[in-house]
Amino acid sequence: MEALEPPEPQSFEELMLPHMDSAYNIARWLLKDPHQADDAVQEAFLRALKAFARFRGTDGRAWLLTIVRNTCFSQMRANKRGSREEPFVDELHGAPDGTAMENAVAWTEVRSETLNKALERLPAEFREVIVLHELEGMSYRQIAAITDIPLGTVMSRLARARAKLEAGVALVAKEETLP
Amino acid sequence: MNCTESRKLIEAFTDGELDLVRHTELEEHVRTCDACAALSKSSVERRSAVVSSAKRFTAPESLRASVRETLLANGMKAAAVQARAPRIQPFLHYVGLAASVAIALGLGFGYGVSRTRSGIVANEAVANHLRSLQANHLMDVVSTDQHTVKPWFAGKLDFSPPVVDLADIGFPLVGGRLERIGGHPAAALVFRRKLHVINVYVWPQSDGSAAPSSARMNGFGVLGWSEAGLNFAAVSEIPEDDLKGFVSEMRRRTASATPNPSQ
Repeated sequence: MEALEPPEPQSFEELMLPHMDSAYNIARWLLKDPHQADDAVQEAFLRALKAFARFRGTDGRAWLLTIVRNTCFSQMRANKRGSREEPFVDELHGAPDGTAMENAVAWTEVRSETLNKALERLPAEFREVIVLHELEGMSYRQIAAITDIPLGTVMSRLARARAKLEAGVALVAKEETLP
Repeated sequence: MNCTESRKLIEAFTDGELDLVRHTELEEHVRTCDACAALSKSSVERRSAVVSSAKRFTAPESLRASVRETLLANGMKAAAVQARAPRIQPFLHYVGLAASVAIALGLGFGYGVSRTRSGIVANEAVANHLRSLQANHLMDVVSTDQHTVKPWFAGKLDFSPPVVDLADIGFPLVGGRLERIGGHPAAALVFRRKLHVINVYVWPQSDGSAAPSSARMNGFGVLGWSEAGLNFAAVSEIPEDDLKGFVSEMRRRTASATPNPSQ
């Protein structure tokens, strides 16, 4: 669907390189650092090239983004080496719904900087689903495949991530009003 | 559907991730429940704030070049033509969804892409087309036989979409599914052109809706027309002339397949 006139069979260059922006966007949001994002994208494309013979599907972007996010998460683990590693537990990060209505954010008035700062502060697992869904337009099913979590968990994680983002936006907005 | 059920599904609803049956149930509930309508509205607003305000990073040229160099050094074959495909704008996806939600809620629609009714329909048709490609939900009935596809819609829609096959001129029918256009149930007929997909949406004019104006958006062509009380919209990324050829042949065969258009 990407290329208008795809010659067949399609090469790695034609199938994967067009998704460089998506790959970089995910890496930047996960790693929060331009140099680390560069390194992760380089490494991910190299890994993808080596694994390309095993690519059988039609969704090249989802396949590539799986490798990119895995590369980023390994890099984050390496950055934190020495500190104790704990598995991510969605339930420890608040209820998926409920409180949103009480201190509802006026979304139509939220400034970009406020939103970006709040998004940056979310745990990586929450940042990831928001970036994949809202910025990359991936479906629940694609996100489940990319992150290797069940479809139901994608739904509840996205709901939690949004509730947490909403609380974060309110908090950042409040900080901005302080002298 | 009650509020407890509705609340669990409201985000999936505004994300366009529900199946048609539950989508319709929720739509009906939201129409009559102010609290759930408010939740749905804030969910749409939140997403459109994130979609439009969150930063979308693009790869710097230096990275683009160095990745390519590394790959070539590691055995990637250089393609004869270096094609850089246009980045699909997820925004478009949301414009369509937001439009359908806005229409369902009777809200104003002010994204500025197109405020005309047929323009919204064109947006929605493209968004549906994109979603059908992205979400692996291309077909509910898989068949290359028009005599299988047509009866499949019976009982699922309150009208009967004309189904013709164009395999002999290189556009085989591959199946169909249910969709919604402008809040109205629609038939989607799926055709292929080599590796490409053409979605043809068919829905009745009875609710006063119009066929979309013809448009080209983000590399997708939309051709709309009305005939025998039905609206049609063909959407695909194939070249415009191919799409025009496909549409004119489809119209010709549809007309001869239904000798009495008033039926």
